[in-house]
Amino acid sequence: MATATWRTAKPQARREAIEGYISLLPWMIGFVGFTAIPLAASVYLGFTQWNIIEPPQWIGLDNYVRMFTRDPLFWQALKVTLGFVALSLPLKLVFGLGLALLLNLKIPGMNFFRTVFYIPAVISGVAVSLMWMWLLQPDTGVVNTMLYFLGIQGPNWFWDPNWALPSVAMMSVWKVGGSAVIYLAGLQNIPAHLYEAAQIDGAGRWARFWRITLPLLTPTLFFQLIIEMIDSFKVFTEAFVITQGGPLKATYFYLLYFYEEAFQNFNMGYASALALVLTIIILLATVFVNYTSKRWVFYESE
Amino acid sequence: MRIYGRMAALALLSVALLTVTSLGVLAQEPVTIEWWTVASEEFDEEVQRALVEKFNSEHTDVQVNMTLLPSSGYDERMQTTLGAGQGAPDVALFWITNWYPQALDLTELIENDPDIDPDMYLPGFWNTRVVWEDKIIGLPLGVGANFVMYNKDMFDAAGVEYPDPDWTPEDYNRLVAELANAEQRVWGGDRPRGPYRAIWYNMGARLYADDSSTTEGYLNSPESVAAYQWLWDLVNTNGTPTPADLEVLGTEGTGPVDLFLADRLAMATLNQGHMLNAMAEGKNFGIVPEPHIPGNTRHVNAWSLTASIWAGTEHPEAAWKWLKYWAGPEGQRFLMENGNLIPSIPSVLEEWEGAETEYGQAFLDVLELEQVAAWDNEHPCKATVLRAVEDIWDLINLNQIAREDIPATLDGLVPAADAALQECVGRLGG
Repeated sequence: MATATWRTAKPQARREAIEGYISLLPWMIGFVGFTAIPLAASVYLGFTQWNIIEPPQWIGLDNYVRMFTRDPLFWQALKVTLGFVALSLPLKLVFGLGLALLLNLKIPGMNFFRTVFYIPAVISGVAVSLMWMWLLQPDTGVVNTMLYFLGIQGPNWFWDPNWALPSVAMMSVWKVGGSAVIYLAGLQNIPAHLYEAAQIDGAGRWARFWRITLPLLTPTLFFQLIIEMIDSFKVFTEAFVITQGGPLKATYFYLLYFYEEAFQNFNMGYASALALVLTIIILLATVFVNYTSKRWVFYESE
Repeated sequence: MRIYGRMAALALLSVALLTVTSLGVLAQEPVTIEWWTVASEEFDEEVQRALVEKFNSEHTDVQVNMTLLPSSGYDERMQTTLGAGQGAPDVALFWITNWYPQALDLTELIENDPDIDPDMYLPGFWNTRVVWEDKIIGLPLGVGANFVMYNKDMFDAAGVEYPDPDWTPEDYNRLVAELANAEQRVWGGDRPRGPYRAIWYNMGARLYADDSSTTEGYLNSPESVAAYQWLWDLVNTNGTPTPADLEVLGTEGTGPVDLFLADRLAMATLNQGHMLNAMAEGKNFGIVPEPHIPGNTRHVNAWSLTASIWAGTEHPEAAWKWLKYWAGPEGQRFLMENGNLIPSIPSVLEEWEGAETEYGQAFLDVLELEQVAAWDNEHPCKATVLRAVEDIWDLINLNQIAREDIPATLDGLVPAADAALQECVGRLGG
């Protein structure tokens, strides 16, 4: 069936099209002004040397050559960030799902618990960082004090190069209340009759979870995996507030390096190149996850 | 007749226009200057508004419109407006070196103005804060400096003699060990907040060559090794708060003043704002410059605010009137008397109520020392190079390196430091 062109369209269809475009206009303006143009500018600036105050100078691929061949900080930042993604992502997915399963129980006062667990998701990252800095202070922090009473010598947490990254990952797990709400919505969309049928067939709790809940939750898991992965790549506040990338660059995250280059060294051209590389990495990771999803994501309609 | 009529009408119109123009000149609107500022311990919003009100009432031709920005957003707003080349204020604090190219060169204005003379300012602050590439890019507003504050009561309780102003880094470590008391959770002194500041310079250490060519022979020089080994000794007295302690127990971000005021830290490297806090709390304390090696030039980590005019201003003359009022004797006196500013102008500084006190005298003595900024300003790649070599700082603070391994570790860091230096020098155009 041929699509009607503007010339052949009826006046009613034209009017509707114009109204549609007008409705889209605010979003289009926002997208072009605040996303498309800055993105394009950032790509261009990645090929320049620019300190913001003076005009950018075109230097071709120099920023990228430096990044990949003679910048140890780039590789360190990338290594630490990938390590954080690998460590925090499974934790966040597992704990988020576990919390959602608990919050899905039919017990009195559940709305209170759902609210309480969601609170960390809406608290400012700086406030959360400061709170964890206090909690994990090696000598006077609550966590080590409690461990001391249990006869355990607590680690130096953020101030130990071996523990700093796990500490930041632990902090990120504390905020899974936000993702638990998404899982919860997914859980509540699973038709009850499937559980009833399985129960009649003699399926136990574990079998019901493994054969019904998990497969039907895979679309939500897929969504969460993408969102949490992108979020993990963008980790910044914790390092900026608590560790400043240390000790021994154990928490020298990619965005912290980007921030230093952009807003401390005013090396905006190089920072733009860094930003573009991170965007490409996230894009590739997302494409990969999307590609594998065909094998493990199941939709009810299928 | 018709032509005469037209001529008469034209003449009348001309007279009318001239009259309107002259009246306009007579009733000329004053020029309004946009001024961006922040509130600080030295001058809060109220005192700055009072200063503007005073200026506006004394000047009919120039009026100042003050915009108070939050400290956290000031840098971003300045950076973006200066970068865009429009919307920047006529007068503001230019406290980031990257902004200096956008500051108006005041040389000619100063030469033609009998009210302002470079010699009226403390020379160390004039040279390090407003002279840039042979231009004068502002006026230095107020002064600040780091020095060691020691708690006399804690010294007395421990039976330890007060530090001599001529003390050495080894004296500092000895006193830290003597004053620390783990049972009472008391520390003898704090740790420096970074290498290549006053104590490093006092020990003769420099990060790289004066011509910015290499770190070899500088980063790993005997003086640098000695400075890092001094830090190692200090950490191993176990008499200093760890970075974790300082991060959590010191809320100021500029120094562990809270621990000092709580009688848990006998010596701390603090600043004049902390000194005023301690005076207000009635602490019994003294002030000495940071330790040094006799024979070496003695340094101080000191600062002043660079008050500047934006090069893109449409009203340079009017902006100058406000700038010289604000950062000149009149404004600094006003901010001193009504706020906590310590002026950068000796003739006004003499009137400071703290000048005659023991603390004040010690503070004024510190201001006479060579400034760390003198070297730092000439070597803008310092931060970049330090970032490349900060692992040794962490290793020492974490107590994860043996003292005798420090020279070899510094040797090993030279290639990374040189690479960072070359990249920075190239980026800044040599």
